[in-house]
Amino acid sequence: MDTLRVKSIQFTITMSFILITVVVMLVVSLVLYNKFSTTAEENAFLSTQQVIEQVQLNLENYIKGMADTFEVVDAKIAKSRGIPTDKLLEQLETIASTREDIVSINLFTADGGLVTGIHTTEMRKNTRLLEQSWFRSALDNPNHLTFSLPHIQNLFKDPYKWVVSMSKGVSIMQNGRWEDAVLLVDINFKTLDDVFRTVSLGKKGYVYIIDDSAGNIVYHPQQQLIYIGLKYENVEQALKFSYGKYMDVSEGEPRLNVVRTVNNIGWKIIGVSYLDEMMTTRKEVSTFMIWLLVIVLIFILLISSFMSARISKPIKRLKKSMEMVEKGHFDTYIHVRGADEVEQLSRRFNLMVSRVRELMDQSIHEQETKRKNELEVLQSQINPHFLYNTLNSVVRMVGNGKNEEVVTTITSLSKFFRISLSKGKNIITIGEEIEHIRNYLIIQKMRYKDKFDYDIEVDNEVLEYQTLKLILQPFVENALYHGIEYMVDEGHIHISASRQEERILFQIRDNGVGMSEETLKNILSGQVKSEKGSGVGLRNVNERIQLYFGPDYGVTVESELEEGTLVKIWIPAEKVQP
Amino acid sequence: MVKTMKLGPLLFAILIAVVSVSSCSRQDEMTPAEQKRHLEVVLRSQNGDYWKTVKMGAEVAAKEFDVTLDFRAPGDEADVKGQIALMEQSISSRPDAIVLAANDYKELSQVVEDANAFGIPVITIDSEVESRKAKSFIGANNYEAGQLAGKQLIKLAGTSGQIAIVSFKQGERNTELREQGLLDEIAQYPDVRVIDKVYSLTDRELAAQMTQNIVAKYPDLDGIVALNEISSIGVADAVQQLNLQDKIKIITFDSTSEELELLQEGVIQATIIQNPFSIGYLGVKNAVEAAKGKKVPSRVDTGIRAIDLTNMFWSDNQKLLFPFIK
Repeated sequence: MDTLRVKSIQFTITMSFILITVVVMLVVSLVLYNKFSTTAEENAFLSTQQVIEQVQLNLENYIKGMADTFEVVDAKIAKSRGIPTDKLLEQLETIASTREDIVSINLFTADGGLVTGIHTTEMRKNTRLLEQSWFRSALDNPNHLTFSLPHIQNLFKDPYKWVVSMSKGVSIMQNGRWEDAVLLVDINFKTLDDVFRTVSLGKKGYVYIIDDSAGNIVYHPQQQLIYIGLKYENVEQALKFSYGKYMDVSEGEPRLNVVRTVNNIGWKIIGVSYLDEMMTTRKEVSTFMIWLLVIVLIFILLISSFMSARISKPIKRLKKSMEMVEKGHFDTYIHVRGADEVEQLSRRFNLMVSRVRELMDQSIHEQETKRKNELEVLQSQINPHFLYNTLNSVVRMVGNGKNEEVVTTITSLSKFFRISLSKGKNIITIGEEIEHIRNYLIIQKMRYKDKFDYDIEVDNEVLEYQTLKLILQPFVENALYHGIEYMVDEGHIHISASRQEERILFQIRDNGVGMSEETLKNILSGQVKSEKGSGVGLRNVNERIQLYFGPDYGVTVESELEEGTLVKIWIPAEKVQP
Repeated sequence: MVKTMKLGPLLFAILIAVVSVSSCSRQDEMTPAEQKRHLEVVLRSQNGDYWKTVKMGAEVAAKEFDVTLDFRAPGDEADVKGQIALMEQSISSRPDAIVLAANDYKELSQVVEDANAFGIPVITIDSEVESRKAKSFIGANNYEAGQLAGKQLIKLAGTSGQIAIVSFKQGERNTELREQGLLDEIAQYPDVRVIDKVYSLTDRELAAQMTQNIVAKYPDLDGIVALNEISSIGVADAVQQLNLQDKIKIITFDSTSEELELLQEGVIQATIIQNPFSIGYLGVKNAVEAAKGKKVPSRVDTGIRAIDLTNMFWSDNQKLLFPFIK
């Protein structure tokens, strides 16, 4: 793809598009991703917390309900003073029948004798009743309801059951004396187990319960695994909190633990959520982001190369056209469609090229005119007619023995030609131009004798300024041949050169016959060419001046019949370049 | 130019379509690959709390490692041919791995090698097979278990006396190892004599009958060691019926609730327990690893423990002895 050359507009645009897109996408993705993962984490924490709080609430309600039941039992016992009447037994049966989860209700004496009870079969041997924790704590803290940890109840010949024992030290009347006794209500732990087992915290998350005082695990869905050492629960850390959350990485995977304490029973509920489950959403998001990035990148690549091609194509065409022009094909015309700017550019370019073409044509034309005019001037100088006349005069003068005049004439003629030629220069000093016209007048004066008179008035200041050569002679020639030759009286030609601010003014005035206005107009437009003289007319001079010095300069002619003619020639006042 | 202008949105639409289609098909392809692994578990018997606990452990592991399990087991532990047939069924279902508790050390080795030939890794639990093709064995060290039983017996019955052994079946690897351990332990005490050794098969009635016979034959009997769950109960029943529980010390194996009741009643003096939950759990865990092609330890000792009246209600032991919720 040569269109993707380094530094080409197309490449730059495409790369900038991609760069901007990637940067923006990355920033946006990162921000979104972060936002999302924090939100996900917060949500996970919140939902875990809610679940745990729900469990806590259920548990507290349950415990409270059980405690209430216990109080009722306690009240009945107290009322009957612990004497196991049929009525008491019936009452206890009624209470027990209201709750499925009551395994047994029993009243023991302080030395372990069974006073009364329901749901009771024959007692087992080797129960070690007096050593059981619920029995001890009831005797140690009478009148205080204690909940035991879940344990196997081994008192009666029932299948072994996991129970939580509620116990309390009470006083009963036995043999006419008040004696210490222990009231025991066993709750089936299955009820609680069912509560915890249904708690769901994601696929892998779970709830476990520990005992506040020693950190013994009361319930754990993977109790067996913990016991055999295949699982580990960071109980120490959970014990530090009564209400809070922490991250646990002791199992390798980061897990969020939320701790809540259950009132009255001294248990802590710990909800464990696996962070990688929350990360699943995070992973989905990042996968989505990556896909999005890829899609957008491909899209941007296509769009930008398409767009940049659209933008750069007209520019490339423009460039090609310019190269054509550079090679000189000025007739190149481009029709570029594209962005507004490019279209304008091409339009301007077309205008420019056509203008250049015009200027070139013009310049060629001017150069030609210049050359032609110069040639004309030079030809006029070697006008054989003038030369013939002059030489004829000289021969005549020689015949008359006017040697001095011959010398003057020949000298003037030589000077005249020397300045005419001027080594091919077009620009000469005003001094030289004046010298030239003076020599010309001297020669003509030899011929026409008393026919005319002349004077030259030149400011010394202007002598060093430059002028175009041979601009005076055509007018002097005109004045002689058209103005003075037909005069009866002696003619007069006045030539002056002076500086008028930034310009030099030459004036050629004669008192000849003058011209009609119509003739004057024709002369100025160049329609009339004199048959006599050099034939280099007013127009030639005017053109040359304007070609060299610009349209601000040139020749003006004023004339009146019988009064004479005044020619003004304006050129810029500039010193000759050394 | 106008045509190219319209290309942009069109291209975009095609692009979106292509990408969404490709991503969909990619997801479709992924689902079968994510199908759960399937494991076969062939146990020694359908009956007994011991195997229920093994199953429980296996199911916990299955949940944790997200695999499906199919359990197969013959009617009783003596049914070797039946178990071989079940193994063949298991192999034909082309599972990702098989967990096997072999009923016979030698006879089951052929099917293990068959399974291996199909590229199905076999993890043995509880009892070993002779084949070296089994990837791993997970279970108690039965020899040490026998030694531990011997120690308990000496502790209870003293360093002299008459001892009887009720075993399971001749040639059965686990009981043979236990027996060997027991005999080696007792051999340290020359005054302790093993007066009889019987095989009860998986029949508690037979075990009880044999016990009564032994007691009748040797009225001075001091102790009986029963080397497996079923014989343990048979022996204890007989002794209880004869009302000799205070005279004859009984050492048993395993911890069914019946045994535990008898332990609390004082009929059984001690029982040697294994850890069936971990055996089941680790069996499946290692099978999953093996199915994934990972290296598994060739032997995992899940430990043994002697339980007597003193320690049976210890908090930790409770959790081990009594299935948590029933």
